[in-house]
Amino acid sequence: MSNLLLCQGNFCTFLCPHGDDLCLNSLKDLFNRATNLSQDIYNLSSKMFKEFDKRYAQGKGYITMALNSCHTSSLPTPEDKEQAQQTHHEVLMSLILGLLRSWNDPLYHLVTEVRGMKGVPDAILSRAIEIEEENKRLLEGMEMIFGQVIPGAKETEPYPVWSGLPSLQTKDEEARHSAFYNLLHCLRRDSSKIDTYLKLLNCRIIYNNNC
Amino acid sequence: MKENAASRVLFILLLFLYASLLNGQSPPEKPKLIKCRSPGKETFTCWWEPGADGGLPTNYTLTYHKEGETLIHECPDYKTGGPNSCYFSKKYTSIWKMYVITVSAINQMGISSSDPLYVDVTYIVEPEPPMNLTLELKHPEDRKPYLWIKWSPPTLTDVKSGWFSIQYEIRLKPEKATDWETHFAPKLTQLKIFNLYPGQKYLVQIRCKPDHGYWSEWSPESSIQIPNDFPVKDTSMWIFVGVLSAVICLIMVWAVALKGYSMVTCILPPVPGPKIKGFDIHLLEKGKSEELLRALESQDFLPTSDCEDLLMEFIEVDDSEDQHLMPHPSKEHMEQGVKPMHLDPDTDSGRGSCDSPSLLSEKCDEPQAYPSKFHIPEGPEKLENPETNLTCLQAPQSTNGEGKIPYFLANGPKSSTWPFPQPPSLYSPRYSYHNIADVCELALGMAGTTATLLDQTDQHAFTPSKTIETGGEGKAAKQRESEAYSSEPDQDMAWPLLQDKTPLFSAKPLEYVEIHKVSQDGVLALFPKQNEKVDAPETSKEYSKVSRVTDSNILVLIPDLQAQNLTLLEESAKKAPPALP
Repeated sequence: MSNLLLCQGNFCTFLCPHGDDLCLNSLKDLFNRATNLSQDIYNLSSKMFKEFDKRYAQGKGYITMALNSCHTSSLPTPEDKEQAQQTHHEVLMSLILGLLRSWNDPLYHLVTEVRGMKGVPDAILSRAIEIEEENKRLLEGMEMIFGQVIPGAKETEPYPVWSGLPSLQTKDEEARHSAFYNLLHCLRRDSSKIDTYLKLLNCRIIYNNNC
Repeated sequence: MKENAASRVLFILLLFLYASLLNGQSPPEKPKLIKCRSPGKETFTCWWEPGADGGLPTNYTLTYHKEGETLIHECPDYKTGGPNSCYFSKKYTSIWKMYVITVSAINQMGISSSDPLYVDVTYIVEPEPPMNLTLELKHPEDRKPYLWIKWSPPTLTDVKSGWFSIQYEIRLKPEKATDWETHFAPKLTQLKIFNLYPGQKYLVQIRCKPDHGYWSEWSPESSIQIPNDFPVKDTSMWIFVGVLSAVICLIMVWAVALKGYSMVTCILPPVPGPKIKGFDIHLLEKGKSEELLRALESQDFLPTSDCEDLLMEFIEVDDSEDQHLMPHPSKEHMEQGVKPMHLDPDTDSGRGSCDSPSLLSEKCDEPQAYPSKFHIPEGPEKLENPETNLTCLQAPQSTNGEGKIPYFLANGPKSSTWPFPQPPSLYSPRYSYHNIADVCELALGMAGTTATLLDQTDQHAFTPSKTIETGGEGKAAKQRESEAYSSEPDQDMAWPLLQDKTPLFSAKPLEYVEIHKVSQDGVLALFPKQNEKVDAPETSKEYSKVSRVTDSNILVLIPDLQAQNLTLLEESAKKAPPALP
């Protein structure tokens, strides 16, 4: 692999234009680590959601309230394979970065509020803490990848802001549990999106759609 | 007429109703959605279970709406998925969006709707089993033979673009075995299996799992016959055997190196130093000389008079050679201690058969590793003394009877030193050494003994937990019958022995030895009583006689008729002659 040519339709760019192996290997390594992190974050959030569902949400019908409740739904993310494959890698990367950034704040508050929950299983709390940590690391990695793949591009896209803190802190226990359910449900979904998009980009950029 | 028509219609309706009730027809029961599955995250199928149909032909319709939409759709395809199913093709499938699906059963009598099912395609992925499982036996030259298993990803999964990520799991077993051997293959579509048994028929199955989703079913079994002449062993096994032997050899060498000394000492045991049974070194340190000597005196440790006489003559303090006095935890030191005996052949001071140098040097009955502990209670408190090893060392004396200070040497388990001190001569070496020898024997009783020193006058309470153990190599002990003393404690023996107050040296005038000091290493420096120029205590001293040493290594002291001053030992012990190490 002496050079990386990234083509989107008729538009091609050279990744690592100087063709040095260090750049190529480091990009491969960055993607590898990023996909590992995103897979791990998904696994953790999935388990956390299931644990919460089993413990606090049985027969409560919180799911009905969780429809359309994700604060990131305003981001124009592709919703099937064809759409995703037609999305330019720069756009995909911006979407990933937007998702990661918009989850920084909710994850921080999630950890704080889960800690305050009475009788919360350690499985939930420990996973929340780990996800928060890994989210930050993945964001750093993504920023590095972004800088390498699209050098000079601006990264200051606005990202959706979460405003669900009051509902997490409400005194009404049912309402609070419902708010947690929403948050965990959205977290699981967004981590799945990030993971899938990253793997798509990995196969597209590094392996030239030949994973 | 109108009334007739109306009532007639009513009658017919009632008749119908009655007829249908008689037939058992009713609206259908509520159907139930079982599950939905997506094979490749691009399409999905839902299945439901119909309830009772109420006796009438019933139609089922599936309706859904997506998260964020209000429009309700009907199932696009009832056929592809089989009966009671709905298939959503790519066109109708969205990922990361909740579907709210409901099935309704309709018959003539009515409609029943199921509970809604909330489905997100992302989480219902269950692929088909992998395809094209091939098995091939390979036997390359100069390398181990193996079974090469290859397969392809299942249908409907787009792995190349990265949309779908899969892990694989393979299991195989000999045909007649019961347990499967499982292997995990994270990404590649091939696997090599080594270490197969020749002559067996192997069955192989494979399944896969998406990164978010459920495991697939196991593929159908593939089988392969391993030929009988399939070579399993190769040089790697011999290499393994060789490495294992080398490791075992290394361990043995290391063990020998560590334990070599103790092994050699078993073969060539060292010469033990003199010991005094029941002698508490710490009593010396604390200056309880009276108690100590009482302990010594009351012991009866002259088993035979012959040896006693001989011992008296033999025991000499020889300052002719410069010997170091410190316990040396090594064999060499022991040998050094022995050497002076041999190096001084001309000073024949009447060493008897009991005490010939050869006897001394050859006898090594005492095992070296005897920890010795002396506890002589002082006052009503319990003594808690750290363990010290006591070796009674007696030096050969020149014929002129120049007195030397015999040293009670507290040693480590392996030391045995023969001291050659430089002190002034004993007043009456004969009897002094007798005392010293006795003291030695008392002090260097057998290791592991438990005994109690009893002080009758003070009537201390001795608890069995106090241990008096002596260790080291007791030359005097050897000369006596101290070897015969068992190393097992016999605390009860101590009490009855108290009654025995036969004086130790009934037939001879006795000389008492003053303990001069106890060094850091437990070396007891004794001075003859007249040698008061060195750190003589101001107060008058009293000594105890040891009446005897019991079988269980207990010093039985004769209570002194005079007042006993225990401070003697303390003061003596505190001062240290500089020559002593």
